Amino acid sequence: MTEKIDQEEIQKVIKSVPLLSASATQLLQTTTDPDHDLRGIVHIVKTDATLTARVLKVVNSAAFGLISEITSLDRAISYLGERLIIGIAIGDCAAQLFDKELVGYEGEHGDLWRHDLRTAIASREVAVQSDSDINPDLAFTAGLLHDIGKALISDYLHGTASEVLRKIESEEFSDYLSAEESLIGFDHPRAGYELALAWRLPTAIAEAIRFHHNPAGASPEFQELVYTVHLGDNIAMMGGCGTGADSMQYKLDPNYTQFFELKPNALANVMLTVNEEFDKLERSFSDTGESNR
Amino acid sequence: MGQIILGVGDYGASNRPGEDVKTFALGSCVSVILLDPKTRTVGMVHVALPESTINKAKSVEKPGYFADTGIPALLAKMAKFGCNPKGKGMVVKLCGGANVMDTNDTFQIGKRNALSIKKILWKYGMGAVAEDLGGNFSRTVTVSVESGEIILSSPGRPNWKL
Repeated sequence: MTEKIDQEEIQKVIKSVPLLSASATQLLQTTTDPDHDLRGIVHIVKTDATLTARVLKVVNSAAFGLISEITSLDRAISYLGERLIIGIAIGDCAAQLFDKELVGYEGEHGDLWRHDLRTAIASREVAVQSDSDINPDLAFTAGLLHDIGKALISDYLHGTASEVLRKIESEEFSDYLSAEESLIGFDHPRAGYELALAWRLPTAIAEAIRFHHNPAGASPEFQELVYTVHLGDNIAMMGGCGTGADSMQYKLDPNYTQFFELKPNALANVMLTVNEEFDKLERSFSDTGESNR
Repeated sequence: MGQIILGVGDYGASNRPGEDVKTFALGSCVSVILLDPKTRTVGMVHVALPESTINKAKSVEKPGYFADTGIPALLAKMAKFGCNPKGKGMVVKLCGGANVMDTNDTFQIGKRNALSIKKILWKYGMGAVAEDLGGNFSRTVTVSVESGEIILSSPGRPNWKL
């Protein structure tokens, strides 16, 4: 019998998770401000010595193949771009969550980080290659955090994966989300949303976490972003990069077309770019030797 | 025991008994497996997209990415092992090509990959004797060079044979 999660229980789990650092929180606030520029990002990173060191390590990692070493933070940040800086900051702060082995989904160690990174890249590419108005860096950040709730509820789902797949096949459950809700009383987007509230994440990102499988449910002002992440998530799973047994066991809502178009050739190009970018970014994060991802 | 691991868009072949040819987590990608009984060679290509017309440069750099360039590249590779360059006498098996649930036409890449592969194979006069295509789950594929046995696996499911 699986243990159910209620509001009190999820708050207990959230309390056991480290808070985001002040610099990561500020970076996330900045990225949702449409008028922000790179100088603001440099300013925040400068206040955090650990983050500064990590940024310099990543930019000088073998994955970028630079001929001469970059020692100036300004140059490093403009070379890597906003999304990578945020990726480094969040990846480090929430390493305990991203690195968690998702036993409840029968996922392997590192699957959550790889899936989230791939979704981030795919969401950004969807924003770039469709005619959407979404800021690609915001799409990246929202994609990176979309599945964080899985790290919170995975243990409660231990031993359920085979049964869930059987029941989805026999249509007893309509998808993995309804299985989570039915078995433990909480699904992963809702768990992630509770964490987003505790971390005081910007509303745009919190909405993307909460509605990434049900984008039509998001507030109208955030729906375009949420649809972008919804597609990014599906593209990551189609690329074989899921978090275990639940991969591809969710519904794709084709109503993204009310916000932007993505022709078959554009989707194929998104998938190509995602493969290339993913290989490069994954190497740049792991080359620096501080992570076992 | 040696293993040849193929990533997205990779292709490879082996005739060394005791070796496996393997590819991880095919989502909408399709793995084309060619078994040549005459030379006891196993070849595989991990195809990601149906047509190379969308990016010619990429198809030159990594032909295995696309159905229309991946299959000729694999046949050319296998010819180096003494196999017939047109694929004559080879046994073809296909797996992968999954789709997400309730998707629209644009996102049916798994289905389009499988169709495109079958079209190319047909031009060579080849057809698959076994296939495990479609559905909405990812597949990891391992082929034993010695026995030609193909084992598929997916998280949350018992392994199965093709």
